[in-house]
Amino acid sequence: MENPLAREAVAEPLNPLGFDGIEFIEFATSKPQALGGVLERMGFRPIARHRSREVELYRQGSMNIIVNAQPADVPRTVEPVERPIVSAFAVRVRDADAAFQRARELGAWEIPVRARAMELNIPAIHGVGESLIYFVDRYDEFSIYDVDFRAIPTVDPHPPAIGGMHFFGIVQYVGPDRTADWFEFYSQIFGFVPLPDTVRFGIMPKGLLLQSPCRSFFLQLIEPDEIARFGPAEEHLQRIGLGTPDVLATVGLLEKRGIEFLASEKVHSSDRGALTKSTLGSVMFELVHDDPKPSAARK
Amino acid sequence: MIFSDFGMDTASLAGSLETKLAAVRGAGFSQVVISAADVVGHPGGVAAGVGAVRASGLRVTGLEALRDFEGLDGQLHAYKVDIAKSMLEVCGELGGNLLLVEASTSSHADPSADAIGRDLRKLALLAIPLGIRIAFKGMPWSRTVRDFRAAGELVYDTGSPNLGLSIDAFDVLAAGAALEDLDAIDPEQIFLVQLSDYMWQEMRSPEEQTSTATHFRVFPGEGAHSEGLARFVTKLDEIGYIGDYSFDVYNDDYLQIPPEVVAGRARQAADWLGETVLRRALPIPDTERLRLSRGSE
Repeated sequence: MENPLAREAVAEPLNPLGFDGIEFIEFATSKPQALGGVLERMGFRPIARHRSREVELYRQGSMNIIVNAQPADVPRTVEPVERPIVSAFAVRVRDADAAFQRARELGAWEIPVRARAMELNIPAIHGVGESLIYFVDRYDEFSIYDVDFRAIPTVDPHPPAIGGMHFFGIVQYVGPDRTADWFEFYSQIFGFVPLPDTVRFGIMPKGLLLQSPCRSFFLQLIEPDEIARFGPAEEHLQRIGLGTPDVLATVGLLEKRGIEFLASEKVHSSDRGALTKSTLGSVMFELVHDDPKPSAARK
Repeated sequence: MIFSDFGMDTASLAGSLETKLAAVRGAGFSQVVISAADVVGHPGGVAAGVGAVRASGLRVTGLEALRDFEGLDGQLHAYKVDIAKSMLEVCGELGGNLLLVEASTSSHADPSADAIGRDLRKLALLAIPLGIRIAFKGMPWSRTVRDFRAAGELVYDTGSPNLGLSIDAFDVLAAGAALEDLDAIDPEQIFLVQLSDYMWQEMRSPEEQTSTATHFRVFPGEGAHSEGLARFVTKLDEIGYIGDYSFDVYNDDYLQIPPEVVAGRARQAADWLGETVLRRALPIPDTERLRLSRGSE
């Protein structure tokens, strides 16, 4: 009794989803203007507002950041509080719906559809903690923002990036002995591969580094230090890593805009990387030396 | 091994969830396996059931049991995934980090290792964001995964970091698995060990085995196989198992006597195993004695 439609194991290609970098990273906060101020000092410009929700789009160069102040309407998602939280990231894929269905089939938790009239339904799954991971396939000539967002008049929709900054990675804090679990999650669903300990970027060389199948984006999984292992384990997306070809020059440009960098004995700016001081209770950015690569999957 | 390595199972006890938890706590245990029905069947609703468990101060060893999950297809599979997700959520709300999964006994299930492995890997992935581990357990009346040997092979081949085994002493005492087979199991892959005994010397038929497993189990030290149990626990200790032990005692008689009496018998079983069988070099620390003598705080 063979069912021809039965799910079967097939050999996966190395980039099963056509993963092609990060479309946006989202913060949730109940004080969007305060975060907006920090983002603007980092070189992002507000360029559009959501048609029906309290959501704003910031951009510089290839990077989109969404600031979401809308109260949570789905269980196990971030309820915006004053302290901004990295609440989601969106991966660019060949076919968002196919990627979403495949993820569900493998054991990802989908979130209920919540598009309203005339809005795009962007498929998403639950990630670490209360965060979400979106799948986006419209990012070339037609973008997701064209439908759901209204451009802010007179603003340049494509502000150039300061110091050639681009999304490099996200640091994720995980619970004690949880690195293997999260590696399983990201490798199964997205095709991330682990990098050997000898490969390190920036100035914060801890944990396990995972590389996206398009090789342009990294996740860094970090378990708590000795003593903290016995505290309550909180898992979350902790900070965003930005690549730049010349770290010290970019640090100089950002310092002029009012961004402060850590300058302690252990952590200080170098040509390998730099770390901004935490602001608004939690927001920090890490700079990492990296030359931007041309998009892998795009023709 | 110290006394706090042992825990009870709410399925062994009569009464309301609160009564069961108080009996477990009153006998000095610090952990308990929660039977899902005890929480979702709480007269005050699931939230009240969860609240009772959290208020008890007992550590949740695990939530039991997801059954007949693997090997299904189409609508049946989708249905079971919904059930699994709901149980995982309850487990997370309880503050538990272990879901017990019993090997499928359904005749609708595809018994191939590929189908079972694929579904277990999916279940394990579903559990990852919630920080829950999956303890898979062979069932003597399953078509394919009858004991820890078969379950262990599947777990090993699946390779999910949060998928491991729950090993039941019943496998060794009643279903005839050899103790030496434990040597082939990585102790890190054993997430839970469940202990029970039964009264008969031998079982005459598979039917008797099934009815014994579900209705006539007794606590270690109370049954006819104390020596076998002692060897089993000693063997686990030898291979380096340092995790939890739970008494999975399902006995219709115990559901007709006060839960405090049953919990007292469980306490005797834990003392027998910890102090007599394993003769651990580690005595119960003084602080632990103090806490126990005070009862619940």
